[in-house]
Amino acid sequence: MPQLNPAPWFAILVFSWLVFLTVIPPKVLGHTFTNEPTSQSTEKAKPEPWNWPWH
Amino acid sequence: MTLSFFDQFMSPTYLGIPLIAVALTLPWILFPTPSARWLNNRLITLQGWFINRFTQQLLLPLNLGGHKWAALLTSLMLFLITLNMLGLLPYTFTPTTQLSLNMGLAVPLWLATVIIGMRNQPTAALGHLLPEGTPVPLIPVLIIIETISLFIRPALGVRLTANLTAGHQLIATAAFVLLPMMPTVAILTSIVLFLLTLLEIAVAMIQAYVFVLLLSLYLQENV
Repeated sequence: MPQLNPAPWFAILVFSWLVFLTVIPPKVLGHTFTNEPTSQSTEKAKPEPWNWPWH
Repeated sequence: MTLSFFDQFMSPTYLGIPLIAVALTLPWILFPTPSARWLNNRLITLQGWFINRFTQQLLLPLNLGGHKWAALLTSLMLFLITLNMLGLLPYTFTPTTQLSLNMGLAVPLWLATVIIGMRNQPTAALGHLLPEGTPVPLIPVLIIIETISLFIRPALGVRLTANLTAGHQLIATAAFVLLPMMPTVAILTSIVLFLLTLLEIAVAMIQAYVFVLLLSLYLQENV
């Protein structure tokens, strides 16, 4: 069965690893991802404003 | 037809060019390199979504030390799934049906996991040769069995070859042997052929995933 023939196994090994290591990783690593959106707090913020004490 | 059953898996040469080289080089134009912009096109967005989700799911059970393999494992997944899927197109050559290619990927990657385990944590790596709580009389036998199972792990390349060739062979048999028969058989065969094609699309994706998953499990034991 020809698919089990190891004939040019070294050429196949070198060439497949060459393609696998040089072509694909840059494409995979080139992707950028946004952060997961954080849900807004339902509690209303209670700001505590203050004035300058001499006013 | 004088072609024998398995001739479709012969690695063809055209004009002196081995087509396995072409089949390994060209598919990557389907994966455009993303730009640095936040907004890309739909194809890149889809691929990015797949890469992101896949990497996260794959690395979830792994220790932090194994996360260095993220880019490698995801690249391997894309590599295999692309070759598997494109190989289903008629008149194309599928490099992943070749045992030499699959073993060429499986053996070095498996060896890497073993070497990492033996170098960084030899005790834990060797500890995997004996499951905890084994009855004393079984210990020698079990160590032998576990050692054998460690060394046949590169057979994940054989799995990929076997699954892909079996699928292609079934489709080819249905198409070339059963289809030219009388119309009644041919109608049934067409239905079978359609269903087989669906099955093979699933197999192409699943086997690529299984290859990477098994590798990540071997890595998990060694990081």
